[in-house]
Amino acid sequence: MAVAFYPGCSHHALAEEYDRSARTICAHLQLELKEVEDWNCCGATAAHSLSPDLSLALNMRNLSQVKKMGLDEVITPCSGCFNRLKVAAHEIEHHPAALQNFAAMAQCELPSQVNVRHLLQFILEQYPSQQIESLVKKPLRGLKLAAYYGCLLTRPAAVVQFDDPEQPVALDGLMRSLGAQTVTWSHKAECCGGGFSASEPGIAGDLGGQILASAKDAGAEAIVAACPLCQMNLDSRQALGCDLPIVYFTQLMGLAFGYGWNEMRFSKLLTSPKPLLSRLGLL
Amino acid sequence: MMLTESPIRRLDAKAPGLAEELKRDLDIDITRCLECGKCSGGCSYAHGFDYTPRKMVQLIKLEERGKLLRMRALWTCLSCQLCLDRCPSSIDMPRILDYLRGKAYAERLNDVHPEIEKFYEIMLSDIRNNGRISETLMMARFNFATRRYFSNADLGMKLFFKGKLKLFGPKTKNLNSLRALFAKLLFRSPAEQEPS
Ligand code: SF4
Ligand code: SF4
Repeated sequence: MAVAFYPGCSHHALAEEYDRSARTICAHLQLELKEVEDWNCCGATAAHSLSPDLSLALNMRNLSQVKKMGLDEVITPCSGCFNRLKVAAHEIEHHPAALQNFAAMAQCELPSQVNVRHLLQFILEQYPSQQIESLVKKPLRGLKLAAYYGCLLTRPAAVVQFDDPEQPVALDGLMRSLGAQTVTWSHKAECCGGGFSASEPGIAGDLGGQILASAKDAGAEAIVAACPLCQMNLDSRQALGCDLPIVYFTQLMGLAFGYGWNEMRFSKLLTSPKPLLSRLGLL
Repeated sequence: MMLTESPIRRLDAKAPGLAEELKRDLDIDITRCLECGKCSGGCSYAHGFDYTPRKMVQLIKLEERGKLLRMRALWTCLSCQLCLDRCPSSIDMPRILDYLRGKAYAERLNDVHPEIEKFYEIMLSDIRNNGRISETLMMARFNFATRRYFSNADLGMKLFFKGKLKLFGPKTKNLNSLRALFAKLLFRSPAEQEPS
């Protein structure tokens, strides 16, 4: 199976471990990722904050690049990119006239009916849990995780149409298929404030700190994330005596499928999961 | 949606009120608000806001355009979409805030959180110039622009040793199509100095 892949800007540098682990497990699942040709940045918070139209137009262009490749589906591992692409696809469907205008400006065809899915969503919807379970070589026994979804992966519900907006369970289910345990906790779908980690660090520290504390209180030994912005933000907020590794779900999938520490680039995480994973005999 | 009018409101009976404007431009009917307060109850950052989302609806109904365009919460809303998902009338507050923020930016009204606006501008200028963002360069430019030379220095060192600071990545090739979008869709009224 082949599908268009939108990596997003974090993947070349800050989230290299996410990129590498995602590509490895997709290959393991016999899924061919075709990087969107000549993609542009989704504009993240900056574009929709200063010009909502620009944000729609930038993502309309990305979707038109997918169409140019002869594909109707794009997946992305970043919740921020996912949300911006998804909103644009939704607007194309509901307000085509306005978007037609932007297509003319960018000199491209208005891309209709491109299905946008987050990598996590794609894996869960495409591969039945029995299939995932059958690929597990090294069950993640004893690993107590807080599954973190953040805000943009499941909201707004009417647009993204994935899982429950406030009590999501998809990532918990996937982690259990790998043999790990997940805790019940209060902050799984709270926003980490990552968009402000540079410009207003007080906000990101406040919200990120609450998430770390809540995961710890619930007895988790690590947080599993599905977004490079959330991962980076939480991993750099550990100051308050917190030392919870924040790992990517793709790294844990790879580990359970039999890949090692180096292949999954665990050493790139700021808070090392080494003590935890060695104690559980998972390395 | 283009902003051409002056920020000064004329007492013109024909000028649309804010509620009508939101209906016209965003297809959002603010009169459907029940004033139940669920948006504020759910809001991720209400504890840091000057006006909570429910109060913002009230300001819209009262035509308090000036207060809305100058409030701090306009810049510190996280766009987390929680208020929208909790609202029984599906009032899309994050979208309303994007719309108002776009106007505040165009009219140069943000005197409450200039550093947030600066960060967005730097990010957008990277996208206009390269099609993509280099997080490392963007941070360096932001710290320089806001004179925060040492903020995040500790984090910067950690990232450096992790080999995560890369200055350049591949760029978008067809930059002309992007520049056309920026030229037409990112407005700002003229002022002494334009962002580079
Ligand atoms: S949740 Fe919706 S209906 Fe209730 S006060 Fe907020 S905007 Fe109004
Ligand atoms: S989108 Fe903004 S106003 Fe709405 S809940 Fe989140 S922080 Fe509050």
